[in-house]
Amino acid sequence: MSTKRSTYSIVGKSRPKLDAPLKSTGRSLFTDDIVLPGMLHGKIVRSPIAHGRIVNIDTSRAERLQGVKAVITHRDTGGVMVGPDQMLLCDDTVNYIGDEVAAVAAVDEETAAEAAELIQVEYEPLPAILTLQEASAPDAPILHTYCEDNFADERTMVYGDPDKAFAESEYVRSDEFISNPTHNCFAELHVALADYSLPGKLSMWTPSQTAILFQKNLAQNLGLSESNVRMCCLNTGGAFSGRTDVKPHHYIAALLSRKAARPVKIMCSVDEEFIVCRAGGNNIYRFKTGFMKDGTLKVIEADMLHDCGAYVETQFIVLLLTGIMLQLLYKVEAMRYQGKLVYTNNIPYYFHHGGGMTPEQFALGQHLDLVARDLGIDPVDLQLKNAVEKGYTTLSGTHYASCGLKECIKKAARKAGWKKKYGKLPPYRGIGIGCGVMSSGGKGMFVHDTSAAFIKIAEDGKASLFTGLPDMGQGSHTTMAIIAAEALGITTEDITVVSGDTDIDPFDVGSFSQRGTFTTGNAVKAACLDAKKQLAKTAALKLGVKPSALVFKQRSVYPKGAPEQAMAFEDIVFDTLHSKEGRFVMGRGFYNSPSDKASLAYSFGTQIAEVEVDPETGFVKLLRMTVAHDVGRAINPLAVEGQLDGQAFSGAGQILFEECLMDSGQILNPSRLDYKLPRPFELFEIEHIIVETNDPFGPFGAKEVAEGPLVTTAQTIANAVSNAIGYPIKEIPVTPERILEALKQKQKQH
Amino acid sequence: MRLLRFEHFKPSSLEEALTAMQESAGNVRVLAGGTDLLVNMKCGLEQPGLIVSIGSLPELNTIAEDPSGDLRIGAGMNLSELAENSLLAAKAPALRDAIKSIASQHIRNMATLGGNVCLDTRCWYYNQSKLWRASRPACYKTGGDQCHATRGSERCHAINSADTAPALIALGAQVVVQKKGSQRQIPAEDFYRDHGARHTVLEPDELLSGLVIPCGNETGKTHFLKISRRQGIDFALGSIAAHLAGNGSTCHSARLVIGSLGSAPIVLEKTAQVLVEAGLSQESIQAAAEAARSELGVLTTLFSSAGYKRDLAQVLVKRVLHSFIKKPTTQKRTRR
Repeated sequence: MSTKRSTYSIVGKSRPKLDAPLKSTGRSLFTDDIVLPGMLHGKIVRSPIAHGRIVNIDTSRAERLQGVKAVITHRDTGGVMVGPDQMLLCDDTVNYIGDEVAAVAAVDEETAAEAAELIQVEYEPLPAILTLQEASAPDAPILHTYCEDNFADERTMVYGDPDKAFAESEYVRSDEFISNPTHNCFAELHVALADYSLPGKLSMWTPSQTAILFQKNLAQNLGLSESNVRMCCLNTGGAFSGRTDVKPHHYIAALLSRKAARPVKIMCSVDEEFIVCRAGGNNIYRFKTGFMKDGTLKVIEADMLHDCGAYVETQFIVLLLTGIMLQLLYKVEAMRYQGKLVYTNNIPYYFHHGGGMTPEQFALGQHLDLVARDLGIDPVDLQLKNAVEKGYTTLSGTHYASCGLKECIKKAARKAGWKKKYGKLPPYRGIGIGCGVMSSGGKGMFVHDTSAAFIKIAEDGKASLFTGLPDMGQGSHTTMAIIAAEALGITTEDITVVSGDTDIDPFDVGSFSQRGTFTTGNAVKAACLDAKKQLAKTAALKLGVKPSALVFKQRSVYPKGAPEQAMAFEDIVFDTLHSKEGRFVMGRGFYNSPSDKASLAYSFGTQIAEVEVDPETGFVKLLRMTVAHDVGRAINPLAVEGQLDGQAFSGAGQILFEECLMDSGQILNPSRLDYKLPRPFELFEIEHIIVETNDPFGPFGAKEVAEGPLVTTAQTIANAVSNAIGYPIKEIPVTPERILEALKQKQKQH
Repeated sequence: MRLLRFEHFKPSSLEEALTAMQESAGNVRVLAGGTDLLVNMKCGLEQPGLIVSIGSLPELNTIAEDPSGDLRIGAGMNLSELAENSLLAAKAPALRDAIKSIASQHIRNMATLGGNVCLDTRCWYYNQSKLWRASRPACYKTGGDQCHATRGSERCHAINSADTAPALIALGAQVVVQKKGSQRQIPAEDFYRDHGARHTVLEPDELLSGLVIPCGNETGKTHFLKISRRQGIDFALGSIAAHLAGNGSTCHSARLVIGSLGSAPIVLEKTAQVLVEAGLSQESIQAAAEAARSELGVLTTLFSSAGYKRDLAQVLVKRVLHSFIKKPTTQKRTRR
């Protein structure tokens, strides 16, 4: 691919995050750093049983405790619903271990904890439904009595003629895979600080991926106008798709604050964290595919059963994403998908990093690996044969204006030495390949997918960029500063990013669905071009050329081809203000994808993993990963590499380590010690391959590098492990015990 | 999770500490590094009225060779210091290896040897917050009459994860236990009880003051191995220490001790017998590893399945014994 990198002065050059000095010296502010005058501490009383009726709640002892300023139960909520099926604080039924029943606010954390223990709740236990099988059985007791069955949502997608395609297929294979519950393990615990002490105006500080959605939901449910809800989202200590919506503790903090007429902070404990946001669920994936003997994929059929937990949170979106995903990566004639979301008395599931697509793509990837083995085709060739290309339109109508998938496959295979290794490695060494696709944006939640941006330029030539896009640590604000600096012809250091306050920030749907760089990036670029136009008017007069003949570069402005006539950028700004017109330079811009699909731009990736399995302990050692990703354009190659590293590491965690171990609806390992999240010692060597396809719609050609790499990692490592042990991987995470079990099964078969 | 209120006493001598222990027996805990006790207190698992800080008592912060050549280590010795101690490295490298494998550098900077020897047993159903534990009736370890990890069992199956325990037992160490007016010295093996709820023989007014490792007349070598899911900050899935004495392939005596698979370290006597009878060879290692599998007795499914624990024990025995044999310079690998 040709790259136009040389024409950019800032885009494409690696630079550290703007806030790196602040973060690494502990100066960045997070929600828990905010302490308001008179602030109280809240504590939530949660159900200790998975299913039951509330017979009585006695709050009198808690109310009498010195230092307690407010106690709330369902009666104080005014009927607020957290979701379509979830009341704020249970009225008569609790549906999972951890369901919110009451809450207190007191002068300090100790008093709040003591008061919470003094609230006496009498329960009448009901039978709990804890597995997908129990819940989906025809005679299963119905969990939400207003429903007809336990299917919280169902989704069917059919494209083409799957029956005909199967009939024409020369080879058909079916497989079933299982994923187990996982948790996001945020560095920053869930916390909400609400100030609702004056009626009619709520201010809330909390880590979030989207201030706007929080603002909208809080306003709507609390009967406030949106402008009277001020969201302050400072730095966010990791989000991993887990902070996309308001959760009960946000509402509870607000209601406690209203009742006590003082600010209230609720900080979740580490084990509460696993209850407040539990991510992936226990899901079953059934795949059936039809192929020609030469490896041409004809049809994909998938049947998925997702554990929803007690309430539908974001799982209905997962049902959609996992369905649509099936026909985005490979050229396929037909597809049939059925996804069902099943209510159980488990903790409500949420997005895990990858929005449910990480385990799904593990399953599809491993299935295709088994197909390749059966057909005697090298997996790399199978991928190349079926990979989508630039100009291809999928069954669902998504058109690829740029696509570097084949380039990713070829480059990754070459760099990893695939040909020399595949099928030629010593025993218990394995190599595996996986591919992935991801949208740069997530239109569909609203009619629009809008990001807006403002930029104001001071007399000294420095600019303040206003954006509602949060930075959860991925470096989005640095990326925005680079885009702004490139568009204006100044330096990244000249830009101050102002963000995190809905009273100030322009509208932005938020930092999820891989929309930051692409969508907000386009908005920032538009705002900067608007400001530049204002400056060009002044410069054109001064330099005696047409505005279109001007070059803005490295803090100077000059006529094209005549850099010796350059004027300093700040002089243009000064002259624009200090003129008869007295114009202060402010740019504004917004971007909304004109497509009715999730996005106009899709990224593609290929990864290759090399592993060594210890056949005696079942331990997997990740020797090396080669991670190739088509990012359109690397705005900041250092940040791209950081994303590739982070995603690969996160994916490795999901496939090899992470599992919420369950017993009767309760998590046995809700701690960083027992939930085996990998740590730095588990890091492995990662080779980066940045593929640039210069997307026509992306800012400077850029596309997402958010969750795209992640959905590829799990399948890649699973395929490598499967290759090492010579046996399919059917359940994740692939723990040492499961590997030894697979080896025993393999032995039995021989 | 916060600490509840408690009285704190910092004695200036061991004698003062022992007096306080006697006066408040039953309502007192000693605090050295605090890396185990404070965490459990935050979870409400222990609520002593009095904490006696013994971490900086000079009597407990010594390491020295006594006239007989034995190594005496004070219970208050810090793990990071011990990990770098040249006397320990020379006299008991296996104990040094065990110490280095504990938790993380940060935790070792706080933790003490005595603390690790006394480390409370752990269980999924025990090491949880009050909120978590409210979902279930009390278990043996919290004053109830059942075990959630092994249902129907008549005892607590919480697991002893002290990494130094198998090493000390294999080394034939003695544990020095003191209370006001008396002192007793017991073999490390007898210090532990195979009961998760009361896993040591320490009485409420006693404290562990030190360890004696026989080095004077001992010949032979000791090796320690630990397998954990993660490389840093993780308890062992299984650990082993082995002490062998002999010439060449003959083996006069053998002690093999498995850690982290049960409520007490497991001393593999039959497995050791295999080695004494057959000497150390590739064949006897295989036989010993298989003997270990059957010698383990009933195992709990806590932290890993009983079957996996057995697999792991077999691997641990095999690998630790291999470390006594010089590794062949070239290893032939067969291709699939």
